[in-house]
Amino acid sequence: MNKQVDSPKDKIIRSQHVKLGTKNKKDQTFTDVNTMFYDTEMTPNFLTGSEVIRAAIKIASVGTSVAYPITPQSEAAALIGELYSEGYLDEYFRGESEFAVMGQCAGASFAGHRVFTTTAGPGTLRAMENFPMWAGSRLPIQVCVTMRGINSPLSIQPDTLEAHFLLESGMLMWHAETAQDLFDFILKGFIVAEQPDVHLPIATMCDGFFVTHTKDTVLLPPDDICLTPYDPYKSPVPCMDMECPPVRMMRDPFIMKSNYISYMTHASWQQEIRAAMERSRKHTIPLLDGLIDTHDLDREILIVSSGTAVSQGREAIRLLEEEGIKVGLVKIKTIRPFPHEEVKEATKNAKHIFVPEFNMAGWLAREIKAIVPDNHRVVAGPHVAGGMTMPSEVIVEEIKKYLGMKVSSISNRGS
Amino acid sequence: MSQYQVKPGPEAFLPPSAASMGIVLPDPGECHIEGRIAPEEEGYEYAARKLLGAKVPTLFPGPLVLWKWNEKAAKKAAAIRALSEAIPARLIPMADYRPKYPKIDPEAEINPNHPNLTIWHNKIDVCIFIGVHCHQANLALKIIRGGTDCFTMAMCAQAGHEDACLSFRDIGVESIMKLMDAVNKLKKEGVKSQAVPFKQISMNRKGRVD
Amino acid sequence: MSKEKITLCEDLADIMPPEYHELVATATYGKEDRGWKDIGNSKELIEQHSLCAGCPESIAFRYILASLPNPEDTVFVGSTGCTSLVFPHVAVQNIHSLFGNQNAIASGLKRTLKCRFPDVEKDVVVLAGDGATVDIGLDMTMQSWFRQEKFTTICFDNELYANTGGQESGLMQKGFVAKMAPAGKTFDKVRLPEIAREAGCHYVALLTVSKPNRVERAIRNAVYIARELGPTYVQLYTPCILEIGKQSMEGLDEMKDAESIGGRFVMKEYMTDEAKKMIEDREAEEKAKRKAAKGKKPVSA
Repeated sequence: MNKQVDSPKDKIIRSQHVKLGTKNKKDQTFTDVNTMFYDTEMTPNFLTGSEVIRAAIKIASVGTSVAYPITPQSEAAALIGELYSEGYLDEYFRGESEFAVMGQCAGASFAGHRVFTTTAGPGTLRAMENFPMWAGSRLPIQVCVTMRGINSPLSIQPDTLEAHFLLESGMLMWHAETAQDLFDFILKGFIVAEQPDVHLPIATMCDGFFVTHTKDTVLLPPDDICLTPYDPYKSPVPCMDMECPPVRMMRDPFIMKSNYISYMTHASWQQEIRAAMERSRKHTIPLLDGLIDTHDLDREILIVSSGTAVSQGREAIRLLEEEGIKVGLVKIKTIRPFPHEEVKEATKNAKHIFVPEFNMAGWLAREIKAIVPDNHRVVAGPHVAGGMTMPSEVIVEEIKKYLGMKVSSISNRGS
Repeated sequence: MSQYQVKPGPEAFLPPSAASMGIVLPDPGECHIEGRIAPEEEGYEYAARKLLGAKVPTLFPGPLVLWKWNEKAAKKAAAIRALSEAIPARLIPMADYRPKYPKIDPEAEINPNHPNLTIWHNKIDVCIFIGVHCHQANLALKIIRGGTDCFTMAMCAQAGHEDACLSFRDIGVESIMKLMDAVNKLKKEGVKSQAVPFKQISMNRKGRVD
Repeated sequence: MSKEKITLCEDLADIMPPEYHELVATATYGKEDRGWKDIGNSKELIEQHSLCAGCPESIAFRYILASLPNPEDTVFVGSTGCTSLVFPHVAVQNIHSLFGNQNAIASGLKRTLKCRFPDVEKDVVVLAGDGATVDIGLDMTMQSWFRQEKFTTICFDNELYANTGGQESGLMQKGFVAKMAPAGKTFDKVRLPEIAREAGCHYVALLTVSKPNRVERAIRNAVYIARELGPTYVQLYTPCILEIGKQSMEGLDEMKDAESIGGRFVMKEYMTDEAKKMIEDREAEEKAKRKAAKGKKPVSA
């Protein structure tokens, strides 16, 4: 790196086209993001994850949201509809399928709105063709993915397999552990995704039901302030409103002739999307206080995970501590861009790295194995799926088994 | 591993993007020179020296300054013209971004999909992109670094371009004037333009107008 | 964007290639009575294209671009196909995103433009082939009509998938032998104009592009009605001469044959009563304007 970007004191650059302190039609005051996140008094609220999404969107100056029902995001999508009817959004409607919804979101984004939508599970996969299109077209749309099972037989229950399919979509991917994370990620996600040097779609992900349908205490700023709106004329590509040059402009022309020029342009375009993702680190690190959180890195055993598996890991650490086994923790907040250097550094002294996940594929473990030296240290597991909870005891058991200690399987309990 | 530097090419069959090699963009008040973060003022002098030392210094104005969609654009265009005369430098437009190959005169126009053709045809050794949308500028800058030995610069109204060998950020009319001032100052100090004599290309439907 | 904004910065104008000077000087942006007759004596909004020689689609494109009431405030949405070989060269901003999602894109686009520019009429026009409109995108085509989205959908009906090499499509005639229909298509040409009417379109037109005045009228009606009332649909026969075995010069005859009595493309037009009244009022207004203009003697010769 040619420049240090780890200072949490760095100022985040906001859109400049509305005057701070002026009010929107709902009497909310446009507020600098730095003020909103660092200098505003937060008050505790006891809310479900869906209600937290509503609370975030209420102060996010969103232009358009398009909705479609699929469990477990339906409630949040409907609550955003209530915000629309109260006048907090300019446009909201129900699309006909997730594929169409993501197209409608793209249309709104091409035309210069800040756009938010939600989806889950099979809906994410039905919409899938749109995500690399969003990224390639530099549309900074935010999609909140409340993850659930995707494969047959049908299940509406939590399962994070769908994230695996999004890894190379070109979208930024942030994985919330808690409702508080989700609130922060939604607001901060807009700021990072819309930076002119980033300008990519962002998936703010949470584990369905565990986050969306449980109540938690969340610190919220007052709702009479709001983010400054999106400025379409800071975009790295022309806005499609016939108000900016060039008018002879197709978003985006085909690059598929059979010649080297075309191949090179397409390859460079793909590189540019990845470069934009790299650039997001600089804006994300101060806003999220780093791409990872860490505790007790001096310990030989580490749990490294993302989402609600981190919460289960925290409890497992407490249980192990009671037995005299000391374990540290790494919480990964951004899956894309992946915190390569941070994870390498955080795990450099660990002898055993456990990666608990709510899916069968173990995609997070693969990501970690691909970047850490001596990757035999990485234990991909424990895994649960299909809606199973992950009792902390399961993580405890996995670690103890691995260490050659005696365990009593929790599946025997009750017998 | 040593720090990657954003040097003129030809670098590779498919060169990496500078961002993927760990080059981070400058903050307000800064610029980057070959990947090194420097104060903006240093950049003006560095750029001025590069322009004066070049045989074929060239400015590539893009749609945002070629089209008079607002008064600011017209002022920037006037400043760019003045800068080109001060150096002196060729002006070659990137009027829009549609793939034009092969129906293009690559000496008279530059296109983000094959900018290397314009560099090769004109033997351009130093250039500045200005008023080009960032995405398209990045494509062009990287392709040029891949296949030519041109020293690329970008005067960007947003966050800058790490794929250029030198880039400024947040630029306005004043920034263009500052660069011109730096050129004039060096000239006063006795630095002479090395530009080979040229005439700006102008075209009609039949081709070049001499 | 007002016509005045589609202009070059004076200080750099001399280095711009001639096509852009022509666009500024003689394109018909902002011309109130623009129409197909401008072709030949003004700069066309299509600069070049890579369609086959004699392709009726290219002439359809030119008529449509000449007929749009307000190109300076229009955004097109296209879809994958032969049309997307033309769109990069069209001097009206346009979007290609995926195959078949054009009416979804247009829905989001139109609504946002309405929010952002409440006082400017920003027209959105979808222009896609029959595969995109009727097969892969039918759901989104029809749903946008059900929702009464205020934009125009134009379908270039060449009765097959042309860009991929001549495969069967829903708008192909029954019995036609094509790729993927080796024994001939087994079901009837989809009756999209009728479906459009039932799905809520306020104006539907089916015609060929053999007669530019008809095309102009259909396009203007469709755009005006979409602005005020809701969705409109225009289906234009643009035969793929390559895939039906015709020569470059035979496209026009093919269209004339298809629109003669008993043909598949005898011109049909449908309007809701509300739309009819709107168009009649507009025509009366334009007539009055022309009359008034005639009455005014020029101050000097």
